[in-house]
Amino acid sequence: MILARLALRSVARNRRRTLLTVLVVAAGFLAMALAGGFMTQTFTALSDAAIRGGLGHMQVMESKALQDQEDQSLQLALADGEALASKLRALPPVAEVLPRIQFMGLLTNGTRSVAYIGTAVDPAREPVFMAVNDHITDAQALPGGAGSRWLSPAPEAREALLGPGLAKSLGATLGSTLTLMATTKDGALNAVDVTVVGLLDQGVKELNDRALVTSLDTAGNLLDAGGARSRLSIMLKDPKQLDAGLAAVRGALGPGEAAVPWTDLAAFFKQVRMLYFFIFGFMGLVLFLVVWLATANTLLMSVMERVREFGVLRALGLQPGQLVRLLQWEGAALGCLGGLLGLVATLLLRAAANAARIEMPAPPGSAHGYPLHIEAVPLVYLGTFLFLQLTLQVAALYPGLKAAKLRIVEALRHV
Amino acid sequence: MLQLRDVSRAFELGGEKAGVFGVSLDAPEGKLTVLAGPSGSGKSTLLNLAGLLDEPDEGEVLLEGEPVSRLPEKARCDLRLRKLGFVFQAHNLVPVLSALENVMLPLQLQGASESEARRRASEALDRVDLSSRLHHRPGQLSGGQQQRVAIARALAPKPKLIIADEPTAALDHAHGEPLMALMRQLAREEGAAFLVASHDPAVIAQADRVARLADGRLAAVETNA
Repeated sequence: MILARLALRSVARNRRRTLLTVLVVAAGFLAMALAGGFMTQTFTALSDAAIRGGLGHMQVMESKALQDQEDQSLQLALADGEALASKLRALPPVAEVLPRIQFMGLLTNGTRSVAYIGTAVDPAREPVFMAVNDHITDAQALPGGAGSRWLSPAPEAREALLGPGLAKSLGATLGSTLTLMATTKDGALNAVDVTVVGLLDQGVKELNDRALVTSLDTAGNLLDAGGARSRLSIMLKDPKQLDAGLAAVRGALGPGEAAVPWTDLAAFFKQVRMLYFFIFGFMGLVLFLVVWLATANTLLMSVMERVREFGVLRALGLQPGQLVRLLQWEGAALGCLGGLLGLVATLLLRAAANAARIEMPAPPGSAHGYPLHIEAVPLVYLGTFLFLQLTLQVAALYPGLKAAKLRIVEALRHV
Repeated sequence: MLQLRDVSRAFELGGEKAGVFGVSLDAPEGKLTVLAGPSGSGKSTLLNLAGLLDEPDEGEVLLEGEPVSRLPEKARCDLRLRKLGFVFQAHNLVPVLSALENVMLPLQLQGASESEARRRASEALDRVDLSSRLHHRPGQLSGGQQQRVAIARALAPKPKLIIADEPTAALDHAHGEPLMALMRQLAREEGAAFLVASHDPAVIAQADRVARLADGRLAAVETNA
């Protein structure tokens, strides 16, 4: 403890220099902690968007659909997807199974036809787990979007929700009747009239220009699908138990059926996470260098000013290793002070930034921006604190070794 | 207690050979031995060898009959901590610690508990009449008081040998003489060997034995009555 006490007193010796060093460490903490909070928010938002955007926590599909593309709708579908969905709903970890049909074709208003990418879902089950109502709410703020509503669960209802771009290209408004055309799974051309009941803003312009959502009954009628389903999106009761849920679902599947976790399906999420980790890592490297240089300089100057004192300590019997430890205690003291100051600054700045409701610009490919929200993540704060402590220990090593290598007789003569 | 056997330590100083050459000397326990001689006669070099702060080129240093000068640095460090005490010319206290904490320092390095170190350090400071200055930092003490704290620090671990290099050099006569009288008294009461380098006649007058150095060689050893 004597070394720790000596280190604390030594750190307090040159207060101005210590304050500057502590501010550098605090600034490092602030930058890392805020970036970590922003990253966490982004990951949470992206994973939520992927899961509630339709993927679910996992998807069950025909194994071949993992590698091959369909030449026509339902070519690589689960032959009796509805029966499989009923079976999977009985599994303990499963909260819900949401069958979907993915199809494409032409949408026409009688004078003009536009290609669409369609998704058929269960109108009763889908809004409970997926973000469709959020997309409708977003669309209500768009021109022509007011009055949008979700699909009717009635089996005889023939309704559709359109992406704003798709609706605009056909001049469709709420209540318009359009004709959906597609080839059945047997290859025959078929058509169904649908009523536009709303717009659906999925936030991505390319999707909004092509997307169409309708009920499984409408798509089943159009494609002559019977019980066939392209995929089953599965929602778990406990999303943290993804591996256990995956194992349970895989155990219930037959040959030729595959279950894939959302993390493998959400390519955009994976790319963004890699990009952020790279940016965060690079920022960490820069901060490491800045904090290392600032603290190493402080500690080295402190060593140069205390050569005689170190000579006395060594003469009294302090081992060279204890002198290195003394400097490491001083580094740790600077790290603790800087970390605490950085934590206070982070919490204050985070609260101020969140309260300011700053709107971030739309990311590439996205239709609109999003509000800035920096999360408070204790694990990030702890990691940042430990990272800065490690940096300070590295910074203290050279001054400590330099002090330990001083020749005692020369140090005692030092003026 | 301490025996120097034919020790030599040479170095270049201003293009000339300096140091100590073939010096043999004993510092018995309970006695104040003074190394006397003009500047450059080798007093500090000999103290550095005796205090295991430096290694002789030739010869041997024996502590309680054991050769110690060729030991590894870690072992010499441990010997300095457990068997030796040092009083330097000036500036030999840690400025950020109080008088009490300075004296506690070697005790705590030896492994004494906080309370034990505090008790023994308080006693040592009481022995040098500084019990009223326990919590003063070195900057708040006079030069004489600082040297007395240094003596208390050297004495507190009850070393076998106390080495002092020009302990009165930074003090005026009025403060220097009582300090030396104190050191002589403590040598007798504590039973430790004191080896002091000085060219101050007032210090030499307090010595039990005086070893005179000239040009790095032992010129004479005198015993005071």
